[in-house]
Amino acid sequence: MFMTDRLLEIYQRSRSGKFMKEVEYDLMLATRTQELLKEFNIKYDPNNVCPADDDLADRVFQAGLQLLTDVGAYHLDTQRVIKFSKEEILDALRQAPDTLYLGEGRDRVIAKHRCIEDPNPPLNLTGPAGQACSEEYYLKNLISYAQEPFVDAIESGATLTYNGFDIMAGTLMEVMAVQRDAATAREAVRRVGKPGMHIGDAATGMTAIGKMAASEPVNGLRPCDGRLVAQMCELKVDDDQLNRVPHLLNYGSHIINLMTPLTGGVGGGPDGVAIVSVAETLLGVMAYYATYHYLSITHIKRANNSDQWGMYVLSQAGQAMARNSHIVWTCDPFCVSGPVTDELLYEVAQHAIISTVCGYTQHGVGATGGFEPDHHTGLEAGFQGEVGVATARSGITREQANDIALNLLENYKDTFDTPKRGLPFQEAYDLKTITPIQEWKDCYRRVKAELSKLGLQFTAGPWD
Amino acid sequence: MTDQKVPKNFADELSKALAGGLKNEAVAATEKALRADVDPLALIQQVVVPTLTEVGQRFEDLEIFLPELMAAGEAGNACSKVIEEALTKSGGQVQTKGVIVLGTVKGDIHDIGKNIVASLFKAHGYKVVDVGKDVSAATFIEAAEQNKADIIAASALMSITRAGCREVADLLKELNLSDKYKFIIGGGSTDQEYADQIGANGYAFTASGAVELVNSLLQ
Repeated sequence: MFMTDRLLEIYQRSRSGKFMKEVEYDLMLATRTQELLKEFNIKYDPNNVCPADDDLADRVFQAGLQLLTDVGAYHLDTQRVIKFSKEEILDALRQAPDTLYLGEGRDRVIAKHRCIEDPNPPLNLTGPAGQACSEEYYLKNLISYAQEPFVDAIESGATLTYNGFDIMAGTLMEVMAVQRDAATAREAVRRVGKPGMHIGDAATGMTAIGKMAASEPVNGLRPCDGRLVAQMCELKVDDDQLNRVPHLLNYGSHIINLMTPLTGGVGGGPDGVAIVSVAETLLGVMAYYATYHYLSITHIKRANNSDQWGMYVLSQAGQAMARNSHIVWTCDPFCVSGPVTDELLYEVAQHAIISTVCGYTQHGVGATGGFEPDHHTGLEAGFQGEVGVATARSGITREQANDIALNLLENYKDTFDTPKRGLPFQEAYDLKTITPIQEWKDCYRRVKAELSKLGLQFTAGPWD
Repeated sequence: MTDQKVPKNFADELSKALAGGLKNEAVAATEKALRADVDPLALIQQVVVPTLTEVGQRFEDLEIFLPELMAAGEAGNACSKVIEEALTKSGGQVQTKGVIVLGTVKGDIHDIGKNIVASLFKAHGYKVVDVGKDVSAATFIEAAEQNKADIIAASALMSITRAGCREVADLLKELNLSDKYKFIIGGGSTDQEYADQIGANGYAFTASGAVELVNSLLQ
């Protein structure tokens, strides 16, 4: 059987599945999700955002599997529903990898499936998380991530311009910008002495053509690197996303299933979105041949996931997949505040703690909810990795993670309506030395000291 | 404006069905009211618009989630269609606060935000011509011309697609239509600074902000 036979089948089903208006599909998905919450007795509790309940985690997995089986995926171009049987989904899951080799040479890291309360620390694959970046600071910004000792791979941002001109998706401007940005990422890892470090994406590429333009083994993205293939909210695919899959399979590259489920969106509240997140992960296994998965939970108004809703989805979906699959799964913190604020680091810390105990590998960081260009730096990303390592080494349990996360929430919940956007990279860092300004280092030290009081045992960090 | 007051029993029945997103029940309640000679315009002004406005506010306050907003919007659309048909038969016309052409710009397929804004515009009494997603500048303007629009509203979530907003602004200028239509933008990749840069008439950060912006522009 050819590896791509499943793709052919998906293509056929995208042309022959049930025709349905998008809004009808959304409402069907919403209704079925609510039914499944009742059938599987899943209910959000704002005081228990990280439940220590294995049976509940298994029910969330079963509900997510049932959801994908019942509603299928929606193909936006043909407006048809692609259905899968439960057996097909589980067989695809069986074939998914549990161990990944990211990057090459001495900079290669091995990402393995993580279990609940896994004593092995998570890797930290991080970067500007697809947020808007100015082209003039992009290289130094990426260096700020790659140089961090608790960063194992870098991701990318989306640059706004090419030689000062707006970049238009689907045009030669996109292709040239992606080629430049992939080369910039390659240069960033070379500059910090980690030339083989895994590069997770070229986020300036919005279309399949743009994404594919990054494939270039010398100066661009290599097979040991990766590219995102995204789902649209919720459980939606299109030809442009699917077109990337055969290219990336043929190139031998990592395929990263990007999901951005909306809390308050079609999935409803956090319990429904947890189910949807599981279904989207399984769709990524099935349709995208993902080597790893990237859950970016998004609040429908604020675009963050640092609230109790986000915490609950993170913990429940994570535990469900940790117990019922062997895949490598990542997630990112999306925060309302920005660099050079304590609040950003508290938001990042709670996410790192919950995700570490719930079986994730780390991804990130989205500061300012992605609303402010250049408001992202290596410091908060390295800090996320550091907190993840400290969480695993300190043996933090789900119960403890719940208490710590809710405790940390008190430090920033008042900023949800009045976010502290902080400073952009070019003001948060000394651009000559590519090091954080004193105020930013002070934030790091203050928050780290607070976390130590809550039971996290740190080793030496870069900005102590 | 109509002077007739919608009887409470008809108003309550329709409002309840609309707020609950019950499309069939809402249409049945509308038809029942029309059969009882309730003024179609009064139904729109006194029941449909205020109910949908309240649903929109509850969504803004996160008391309800997107499916409830969508379902109410769908029910509202179905009722409006029935009411418009009744008005057309009687030689009347639905009055709107203005016509808005709305879509996501070329290259951007993220339309959830745009759909929410469309629901709120409709709830506030505007006629929305939704041109969909991944829409070229020319299509925005063609739709505005065909529908005698007051506002062209473009959304761009991704930074790499926001240039589509500039294309609309530039084409409006090139065709000498900048004074004819108010052009507004929104979406995650845009802000007031960008709106000023491209010469848009306004920018809104939130869906409710978009309604306020349009209200002020069309005053």
